[in-house]
Amino acid sequence: MRKQLPPEMLARDSRFVRTSIMDQVMDPRNAKMGERELGSARLQPERPAAADRARNLMHGIFTGEIQALEGAGRTTFDFDDDEAPFALKLDMARQCWDESRHVEISVKLGDWMGTEIGEYSEATFLYEAACAPDPILRLCGVNRALEGLAIDVFNTMREFGDLSGDPVLEFCEDWMLADEVTHVKMGSDWLRRLTADDPERRERALDFQRTVDKLFSLGGFRGESEENPIQLARTFRSMAGFSTDEIDELAEIAAQAQEDARAMVAGGS
Amino acid sequence: MSDPSKPRAAFAPWDRRELPGLFTVEESARRVGTYKWLEMRLFESLGGWVATVPELDVKLVLGRHCYHHAWHAELMDKRLPELREMNTDRLCEPANPEMVAFVAALQEPEAPEHTIEKLVGIFRVLLPRKIAAYTYHMNATSRITDSPTQRSLGFMLQDEFEDWREGEMLLQSLIETPEDVERAARRQAELETLVLAAGGIAGPGTLGSDVVTEGASV
Repeated sequence: MRKQLPPEMLARDSRFVRTSIMDQVMDPRNAKMGERELGSARLQPERPAAADRARNLMHGIFTGEIQALEGAGRTTFDFDDDEAPFALKLDMARQCWDESRHVEISVKLGDWMGTEIGEYSEATFLYEAACAPDPILRLCGVNRALEGLAIDVFNTMREFGDLSGDPVLEFCEDWMLADEVTHVKMGSDWLRRLTADDPERRERALDFQRTVDKLFSLGGFRGESEENPIQLARTFRSMAGFSTDEIDELAEIAAQAQEDARAMVAGGS
Repeated sequence: MSDPSKPRAAFAPWDRRELPGLFTVEESARRVGTYKWLEMRLFESLGGWVATVPELDVKLVLGRHCYHHAWHAELMDKRLPELREMNTDRLCEPANPEMVAFVAALQEPEAPEHTIEKLVGIFRVLLPRKIAAYTYHMNATSRITDSPTQRSLGFMLQDEFEDWREGEMLLQSLIETPEDVERAARRQAELETLVLAAGGIAGPGTLGSDVVTEGASV
């Protein structure tokens, strides 16, 4: 088995349909979709499309968890003992188990919510962030940026479960949220430990994290206004080792991404 | 009311543990170091394979088992300094070059259609070998002086048995034709030949035939 497995080699059965993020972003229907006046974009049960959007999001969580599992697994294998400390690999192995459980949970929640595996497409950008050649970049791109996003997503879904009177959804999201806080904290701790004497490496890792954060704030997907389906979970991020400044910076990235999306729609229509 | 001044033996009548054991501190540490090395290579392999298997149930099981073996490596790592090996990396090594060749062959399959080969290597060759070696260690070492190693091996064996059963069931569900049976058997024979050349996971004497016992028994 080779070191560094490229995203196109991720193994899937015949139910899965893969798309690229560029196909999604450049979809010409996006401009028309952007012109619709739908009011608040938040995931709220009273909105007619809420159930469909929640199912779509749950399928996205499912495929994201598979890729998080694969990314953590590859980090245990791709690096020799001198490149990644033993304790870091142990953390990644632990994360494999957690992500396996999250896939199990999201498969069962998908059933519960009425979706089937493969009903929505899968993009591989989460795994792509786990292909960085430096383990600390992976920890920043995956554990801090993407697992950080998972904190926001699970908190939003947990609230949606509460508001829509779905105790099963609320219960499961709350448990997964606990795991994600642990994973983000792992990323924060390793970033500090491995770059304590190497500020340049730390800056490279944080730059990579910003890039991933910006990508995942695309089109205003995540933020702190009524226009963002996924809300930034400040309290849980703070528990996971994010400073207030870092959370503020993330909020700015999200706001900027939303402005960029507006400009793109205006330019395309 | 019991009499608090009445003397009692240190060992209850049903506690038949004895002091003698086959292993010196050094021999137990050597074996613990080889186990740690192997558990590391195993959890890394499982972690690496997760992305290469298309079967969703297998993918999730490998993710779960990956952590079990990482935990075993951690248990062995923590035991080494207690066996006077302060540099835990020094003894974390393969038993011999043949063991390295075995692990390299074990890790070789990558393609998505090779799930049977991957699982056979783990569940029909390596885990049975580990179960045998760990059981031998538990039975051979002093049940009093080396009790901490025994306790860790007991936890590890519990995982090994349950993981072996789960892996074997996955394999039986994947082996559907006489050709699959042939593939699985061929793969098992290839790897068994290599681990045999290594003398077992801890090298010659893994199951006792070549163990130096002089001075180790009390």
